[in-house]
Order: sequence, then structure tokens, then C-alpha cells
Amino acid sequence: MVWIVTSENRHQFVDAIAMMHRHRKAIFVDGLKWSVPVVEGQYEIDQFDTDDAVYLIALDPSTQNHLGSVRLLPSVGPHLLGQKFGYLCDGPVPIAEDVWEITRLCTAPGVKDARTIRRRLATALMEFGLLFGVRQYTSVAHMAWLSQVLAAGWDCEPLGLPQRVDGDDIGAIAINVSPTSLQMFRQSLGLRRPLLHLPHQTQAA
Amino acid sequence: MGQFQDVQAFVSEAKRLSQMGELQDLLADGLGALGFKQFAFIHHVPGISPQENVVRLSNYPDSWIDVIRKRRYFSDDPIHAACERSAVAFTWSKLDEIITLSRRQVEIMTAWGDHGFGDSFTVPIHIPGEAVGSCSMGVRAGQALPEDCLPAAQYMSSFAFEAARRIARLNHGAGEATAPRARDLSQRQFDCLVLVARGKSDWDIAQILGISHQTVHQHVEEAKRRYGVASRTQLVVHALYASQLAFADIVDPGQR
Repeated sequence: MVWIVTSENRHQFVDAIAMMHRHRKAIFVDGLKWSVPVVEGQYEIDQFDTDDAVYLIALDPSTQNHLGSVRLLPSVGPHLLGQKFGYLCDGPVPIAEDVWEITRLCTAPGVKDARTIRRRLATALMEFGLLFGVRQYTSVAHMAWLSQVLAAGWDCEPLGLPQRVDGDDIGAIAINVSPTSLQMFRQSLGLRRPLLHLPHQTQAA
Repeated sequence: MGQFQDVQAFVSEAKRLSQMGELQDLLADGLGALGFKQFAFIHHVPGISPQENVVRLSNYPDSWIDVIRKRRYFSDDPIHAACERSAVAFTWSKLDEIITLSRRQVEIMTAWGDHGFGDSFTVPIHIPGEAVGSCSMGVRAGQALPEDCLPAAQYMSSFAFEAARRIARLNHGAGEATAPRARDLSQRQFDCLVLVARGKSDWDIAQILGISHQTVHQHVEEAKRRYGVASRTQLVVHALYASQLAFADIVDPGQR
């Protein structure tokens, strides 16, 4: 089950959000050694974790534990590509009402079937996009993972040539939202109906 | 056109193609324009003849393919060995920073040079559930690699390899035929599997997880049964190949 978590319904997901920030710290700070802020020694929270951020969070239906998540930011507001990595784009950073940015895609450390959870998140991203009129996602991709991202079925386009930043080769990419991609992700999971759950307070993003 | 516009044109063309021969031509043109003379885009699966869902695209001359075949270089290929160790692209001049070359591997690199081939750039391809692959492209002996073009080559490689996978699938009409399916394991069975993969005994695992030795034994036996394998080693290999287990689950970054 994947939930849409916004500023309006965040109070219903307090534990899951705290767990998400702990897992993000374990993965991005402890594991990948990113130099990003850590709050109270255990939560990875940066300047983009604001009320504008929408999270898609996969929860274990029985324990409500955080299994994986992704952060979405509208490109018309402050976001990573716009504020920090604009130089990765060959032209202007794509900014439009129907362009959102994907960051901090992760699965819980040590979780079984991490690949299935990533596929669920991919499916949820397509559902979210089609539901709320997102035409394209942007993201900063590590070249080490690019072939994996492409093999998973994402319809990607480069936005500029990759560059070496702090020892990692990274590049800005756009991901097109389409019913074809959604269908492919759903097929890979054997799903017939939507995965995304909208808690009743959710307003259209 | 600038280099990035060339990459964009290459990517949209690669997505559109449906024949391996067309992709081969696109690669020869695209990489040729960047200054590369030869390339090989392959899944590291032994054998020379075409196989289902296996990418094998190159413009190596037959004379070199004959050398590889006759001297059985494939299984000792130093570039393949380096791809196993590296998630990121590398140039062959820095090969010894990734692996220590065996005498046999030094022989292979010497034969490569004797054949008139020079420095090359390799993009490793790691896709869960598939054999490791690589995209290598190089210049003639004595020439310098076009360093300025490596970022463009990186993108051309990733997108062309994906196009090759897609076309191989189209041609053989199958889905992910190379990937065994992950089995449904309980969280506890999975926890035991990770610790087995880290080389722990049932007794060690019992101490770590705070459960009885007998319970650990049952979890491991059940995981083996679900994978249809007889030994702990087979269990780990199958789970890795099915991407239920990642290398990162097993190898502590500090240990490498």
C-alpha cells in the first residue's frame, strides 16, 4: 500500500514519517556518505522537507512500518534541481505546473523484496502523475544506477551531460509520465488496480 | 550541433529502433563521431553465438573474435572482472586501481595491444537479476582517449544498452527470462538468509537474533525449500541472482 502524504494529512503519518527520516539517514548519510544535514543525530531532513513536499510512502499493511518512500517537490517552488543542481541542465531547468521533482527514493534498510518495493513506488509515481496532471518528473541521477533505472522501464531523457560532483558522476534527467509506463509497472507486479491510497483529507496537489 | 544535442538525438533514435543491426550502425556512427574506433556492448555470458535475451553488439574485427575464441579469453577477461568490482565507469589505463591483474589477464591486455587496439572506456551495467554487462569503447594503440567526450559516451552507452536489451526481448518474445524469481520469504527467514550470506553459523545467528538455534535451523531449511536448493551456498547464490538479496546486504562497506 502506498500513501500520499501531504502537509494536510501529515498528522496521520507521524510515526511513518519519523521512520522515513531515520531510514534516509541510514541510507544516504551512513551508507552512501552524502553530506546532507542530520537532525538530532538520527533524522536526515533538509531544507526541502517543507510543507510543499509530497511524500509517497509504502507502508507495511500489518505493522505500518515504513518500507520505502520518495519525495516529490513542485518545480515551480524551491527544489534540488532548481536551487542546487541547475548547472547539470544544458538549457534552463524545466519549471512548470506539470513538472515535479523526484528525490530521496529509498527502501528501508534490510527490508526483504526491496526490488518489489521500488517497483511499487515507481507504479505509485506514475499513478500520482496521471492523477494530478504531472507530465514529467525531473531528478538528479547517479550514473552508477542509470542502467538500473532504464531497465526498470522508466522513460528517461537526459537534460544535460553528466558531471563529476564530489567524486560521483551525476546527471539531470527527465522522466515522462505515461499510461504506457504505468501499465508496464503494473504488469511487472501483477497488479490490476491502483496502488495509491488517498487519505480522505488529501487535496489535489 | 553541440555534444549534448548529439546525445539527445542519439537517445531518441535509440528508443525508436527495433532492429539490432540498426542499433549497431547508430552506435558506430555516434561513438565514431566522438572519436572511438571500436566498441563492444555485451552481457558477460560465455559463448559467442547469439542467445536469448543476451546483449552482444560489437564491431570488433573477426580476427580479434577468433583470438578470443581460440585462446578462451572470455572467462578470464580483466574488463569483466573489473566490472564486477565497479559500479562506475572507468578507463582501462586505470584498470589496476580496480583489480590486480593475474598473469593471464596481463597476457590478454598485451594481446589486445598487439592487435592494434588502445586505451578504452568502460561503463559497467548492473541490472538486478541479470548477468553483469559492459559497454566498452576505445581508440587505436598509441592514440589518446577523447577525455572530453566521456560524459557523452556514458549516456550513449546506458541508453544504447537499454535499447539492445529491449530489442533482444522483442526478438525472443520473452520477458525477463534471465532473471530467476525471488521467493516469498518471511522477514525472519530473510534475516537468517542475510546472516547466512555473511558467513554466520546457525549458532551465531541464534545469538544475533535472540532466537533458538533450532528456530534458526528451521528458518534456513524453509528458505532453502522455497528456493528449491540443497545447500546454504546455493541459497545465497539464488537469492542474489533473484535480487532478493543485494551485495550491499552482505558486504559491509568498511570491509571492502
